[in-house]
Amino acid sequence: MNDPLIDAESLVKKRKKYELTETGFNEVPRKYRKFYRRWRGTGDQLADNEVLCPVCLVVIRSARELRPGDRVYCMPCMSRLTVVEKNGMLIATVVY
Amino acid sequence: MTDAIDPHALSEEDFHAEVHSFQFWLEAVEGYLAGTEFGFDAGQTDETFTLPELSDLITTLCNYCVAEKTALEASSGMIRFAPSPDAAIFLSTQVADEGRHLEVFVHRLKMLGIEDPWQEIDNRANRSLLQFKDRLLEFVDQQDWEAAIFVQNVLLEAMEFTVFKAHASSADPITSAILAGVVKDERRHMGFGENDLGRKLRQAPHTRTRLNQINKELNPLVLSTFSEIAKELKLNTHQGLSISSNYLATIDRLGFST
Repeated sequence: MNDPLIDAESLVKKRKKYELTETGFNEVPRKYRKFYRRWRGTGDQLADNEVLCPVCLVVIRSARELRPGDRVYCMPCMSRLTVVEKNGMLIATVVY
Repeated sequence: MTDAIDPHALSEEDFHAEVHSFQFWLEAVEGYLAGTEFGFDAGQTDETFTLPELSDLITTLCNYCVAEKTALEASSGMIRFAPSPDAAIFLSTQVADEGRHLEVFVHRLKMLGIEDPWQEIDNRANRSLLQFKDRLLEFVDQQDWEAAIFVQNVLLEAMEFTVFKAHASSADPITSAILAGVVKDERRHMGFGENDLGRKLRQAPHTRTRLNQINKELNPLVLSTFSEIAKELKLNTHQGLSISSNYLATIDRLGFST
């Protein structure tokens, strides 16, 4: 007999992990730098582990795939954000 | 090599303590100011300007000085009535930033041949910006934290952030480098204001009505300043609308109408 809890858990897709490297972003102390990058404007695309900060327009990066409900921080502008899905895209909204 | 720390794993309390600290500021500005002199690489050579281009750039820089001096006077005054030690420490870093901004813009004016920058600033100051300054300093004198943080760190900083960012993308290389460094500082000031005020409005929603009145009073001054600067920067209608829409998005996120 199948355990329903184990079955439900296996339905939740495992999150992808990302090995982050520095991209030249220099606006936070070195120990945090690889978690942020500059938005390169039109044509730039966000990966599954990235969201754009709506306050200061810096790209926030995570070491794992982001999903709706995740909390991330934008250190360059000191904002706490929640990841939400809008029109099939992941965006970040500020939580005061 | 410094070990990386995942900022998203911090507790909210630890995150705020970290980003408001003087140590965080010191390590952040070291990243983009080390090796510069007055905000740019001293080895850079200046370009040649036509007389009208030079005059427009000088007027724009004079008004940046007005805005920065306003922020310097206001943020230093606000330390005395900051609502928490963390906010006071953060404001001390903002004071250092504003002093630096004023210095680099005045230095740039001198590079462009202005012998008495302070006189030139007085001569070319935008009237709307001066009215805005007077109103902000009244709130500071009254020790009105909500009004002062709204007018300075939301309205003024969002205006500076959007204008400087737009100007950096089209300016001569030296002015552009100076502005790019200033924009990085403005991110912190603007974010601090929006987040501090956002939390205050959540805890005391009744303050929204009063701030909305202040917003309606000062918005025409901000938009008039935008319009003057857009003319000096020779922005087309689309670019002009784009910078004011960035500013309006900040006001909108806090739930204020314009």
